[in-house]
Order: sequence, then C-alpha cells, then structure tokens
Amino acid sequence: MMSHRGTGMIRVEHLTRRYGAVRAVDRISFEVGAGEIVGLLGPNGAGKTTTMRMLTTYLPPTSGRASLAGQDVLDNALEVRRHVGYLPENVPLYTEMRAREYLNFRAKLKDVPSARRRTAVDRVVERCQLKDVENRILGQLSKGYRQRVGLAEAMVHDPDILILDEPTAGLDPIQVREVRALIRELGQRHTILLSTHIMSEVEAICARVIIIARGRIAEDAALDDLRSGDTIAIEARGPADSILAALRSAPGVEKVTAKTRDGEFSGFEVHARNGADLREALAVRLMQNGWPLRLLDQRRVTLEDRFIQAVTRVSFSDAKGEAHREAV
Amino acid sequence: MRHVPTLTRRELSAYFLGPMAFLILLAFQVIAALNFLELVGQLSRPQQALSNRFEPMNMYISTSTPFWIAILVAIPALTMRLIAEERRSGTIETLLTLPVTETEVVISKWLAGVCMFLVLLLPFLIYLPFLYIQGRFRFDLGPLVALLTGLTSIGMMFVAIGLFFSSMTRNQIIAAIWTFVVLFLIIILTLLVYSWAAERQAPWAEAARFTAVLYQVQAFGTGKLDLRYITLHLSVTTFTLYLTVKVLEARRVN
Repeated sequence: MMSHRGTGMIRVEHLTRRYGAVRAVDRISFEVGAGEIVGLLGPNGAGKTTTMRMLTTYLPPTSGRASLAGQDVLDNALEVRRHVGYLPENVPLYTEMRAREYLNFRAKLKDVPSARRRTAVDRVVERCQLKDVENRILGQLSKGYRQRVGLAEAMVHDPDILILDEPTAGLDPIQVREVRALIRELGQRHTILLSTHIMSEVEAICARVIIIARGRIAEDAALDDLRSGDTIAIEARGPADSILAALRSAPGVEKVTAKTRDGEFSGFEVHARNGADLREALAVRLMQNGWPLRLLDQRRVTLEDRFIQAVTRVSFSDAKGEAHREAV
Repeated sequence: MRHVPTLTRRELSAYFLGPMAFLILLAFQVIAALNFLELVGQLSRPQQALSNRFEPMNMYISTSTPFWIAILVAIPALTMRLIAEERRSGTIETLLTLPVTETEVVISKWLAGVCMFLVLLLPFLIYLPFLYIQGRFRFDLGPLVALLTGLTSIGMMFVAIGLFFSSMTRNQIIAAIWTFVVLFLIIILTLLVYSWAAERQAPWAEAARFTAVLYQVQAFGTGKLDLRYITLHLSVTTFTLYLTVKVLEARRVN
C-alpha cells in the first residue's frame, strides 16, 4: 500500500453531480497528496456530502472524473473501496450487533485475511479506545463511542485514504477534542479528507482547506497561506501624506492604505509581505520621524473571515450569473 | 461471491435478534399443531382413509387455508426489513462502499430470507415422525419430498419478490404492503383467472392452471415433482433478483 505515497492520492477533475435540475456539485477539481489532511469546509447543502459520496463510489458522478489511489471511481469501484475507509455522516451502524463483533464482520468483508483479522481488530480497538465497550451492543453506546466505532470500522483494513463526513458532529466538547486528536494522529499514516462546517475544526486538524459553496470550490489553500492575509493597524499623529510615504518605503511592506482620520491622528492599514510581523520596525520608523503612535496592532484574518468572503463571492457571482441568464 | 457466507450469516443473526422471527415461528407452530390434529382426526376415520382422493400431505399443508394466510403474512414480514431498513438507517451507505458487489449483497439477503422460509416449515415437519413411528401410519415419503422441494422453489420466488419491494423504499411498511398485494394476486388471481377461463372453456385455460400456485402445490403434494413448475419459479426468482440488483445499483431512493 506504500506504493502510492508521494503521488496524488485523490484526484478530482470537473466532477459534477446533478439531482434533477439541481447541480449539487458543479465541476469541482482538486488534488490531495499522500499524507495530507484536507478539510472540506462549507455551509450546509454546499455539496460536501455529495462530493464524498462520489469519491467513495456510493454515488456515480453525472460527469467528470475522480480517482483515488490511482483507481477510477467508475471503472474500478471495488479497487477504490479497498483503498478507502469511509465514515458517513451520523455514523450508521447495525445497532443490534456488538462492537467487536461488528468490527470483525467488517474486517471480513473488507478482505482482511483471517490470520491478520484478530490483530487488525485489536489494533483499531486500542487506537480508538474501545476496549471498555467492545462487548456492548452498538445501539446502547453513547454518541461518542459510536463515532469511535465508526472510525475504527473505517480504518480496520488499514486503507490509504480516510474519508470522514462531519466526524465530530453531535459530540460534546471533550469527545470532540478526543476525536480531533485521534484524526491528527491518523494523519501520520493515512491521507485524510474530512468535511465540516465548523471553522475551528479545520484550524485544529487540517493543513489545507478547500472551501466549497453552492457546489463549487470557492477557495483551496494551505492554512498558512490563508493566514498570511494578516494586517497591521496603525494610528499616528502627524501629516498623513508623509506618514503614508514613510510606511510605504519601509522594508517588507507590500501595501499601505489610509483608513480613518480623527483630528490630528490618521489611521493606516499595512499589509506586510508573507505576513511578517513588522510592528517593531514600523514603530521605530515612526518614532524617528517624531510622529507619536496611538495604536499599533496586528490583526489576524480569521479563517471565518476568509470563509465568509469566499462563500459570499461565490453566491454573489451566482446571483449575477442568474440575473444575467434571466435578462437573456 | 466469497462475501456471501459472511453477509448471509449477519442477516440470519439479525432475524433472531428481533422478536419478528419468533412471532412468525410461533404462528406457524400453532397452525401446524391445529392442522396436525385435523389430519389425525381424518386419518382415524377408516372409510375416508380408504378414499383414493385423499392425500395426507395436501390436507396437512398444501390445501390448508391457515397455512396460505400465514405464508401471505410471513413472507412480507420476513423480507420487508432486508433492504428498506438499511436505507432508513443509512447503513446502506457503509454497506455499498465496502469492497462488496451489489450482486453479493442481494444474493446474501435473499439466501437469508429463503433460509428463514425453510425454518418456518420446520414446525410442520416435527409432527410427522410421530405419525410415522408412534402412529404407525406409513405414509409415502415421495409426496413429502416433492412437496418440500416445490415449497422451497415457491419460497425462493416469494422471497425474491419481497426483497425487490424492500429495495424500492426506505419504509418497511410500504415494502410489506406491496409484497402482500403482489403475492395475494399471484395466489388468488391465478385461481380466479383459471376458473373464469375454465367456465368458458377457453383454449388458454390450461396455461392459466399452469401458473396457479395453489394447483402447483397440490401437484407437488400428490408426489408429482414437475420440473416445469420449478423452472417457472426459478426464472421468476432470477429475474426479480436481477431487477433488485439494478435498483441497488441505481441508488435512486434517498
């Protein structure tokens, strides 16, 4: 299974799925490399679940292609399934079975050879901390335990890729923390694509985020890149034009915009190159010119801001497109 | 096909982890007991036992009205859960993303249903050794074997029909009602059509009689193991199972 390392584990090209006239997923393309943990972020109904269902071969795409571990979802569905562990939303389980019995049953269906099955089940029981409940009936387990049974089931055949649909939905804060820690740990061995509508979850687990809205990709970036949109806010007393010029000429500064004026004080917003922290250098520069500082603050652009920007951008362009279509 | 034993075993254990199978089994046991009493009563009247029109297996099982009513209720009750429940609870999504084909899933669920159907016939069988050994009534074994074979092939067909309707919906009750209606039509309508045709001496009356399940079972009960009937049942079974696989592959019902 190691042979796929270093290549694109998940490749998606112009993937589209329609339900009647509705395009749930609209020509999305992305690629996930081996060992990446990627978060699929989007509002409810954005097409996250539909995308995951196509990747796990549950739903056939209307058009476009997707391949996982080098196998096409349409041509080689069974091969794809062998390489993928899937945790659907709400973790459906056979409620009348016992935890260990269920994992054993699944391992058999996933072609884990009988000689290794016991070890494989032992391993996931230990990793997901299910030892205490392994002989309990699944229907009687708490949500947190059921989530963990679902995760254990997804990884019992040691797949290259794990696809997790809202893995922390409905858990209490402590369980959320446990499941996140488990997923981060799993990221060392598996390629993980998880969906969520909780921003902090992506920040806590993923190195990269794909924001989708209305079935389209609104943003696909590494989390660090998203953070590089940080700005420095400055308010100083003095001639606004001179201050602006001085800030612009400072090394490492990409862009400066004049913001507010409050009597003798002027406000500025400084964008540093690569998100570097220039606060000290800028303070020194202003002091040297004898302009007193009233405010010097680094403003983080939160993922939430980027998310809302991206989603409104897509919705806006959609609305324009629809207005255009109606006009025609 | 290597996943079929694993899947079938789970389906069978799921039957016995709920009350439904036991309730149906109980009902069949009661019917078997009543029919057996009646059979013993008939056999103890010497003049009737001599009549050459009397077929013990037919009177015990095949022409017994309670038996057919029980079958009409039991088949929908046994098959309604098979796929509809997976759709309702969402487990179908985990099932169909395993390295398992839709055909394997359908065959396994069908096999489990057929096994349950055969289990339902057991209550009828347990009385017969008493009759044979204790009662010293040396009935022919031929009709019994023919009847069991025929009932098995009819059961295969009925379970396949029930499974098909279970795959069409996420609501077990709807699946059960459809199955009941279709089985009812198969059993009753064929009889009515035959008697209508026979009255008018229509040339196709014989064809209608051929498709009437009750006449088929009576033929089996008299010891005629007619392979044409079995071929008919197996053809319907195969076609219905094929349709079920196609329904699962289409994944339309949400």
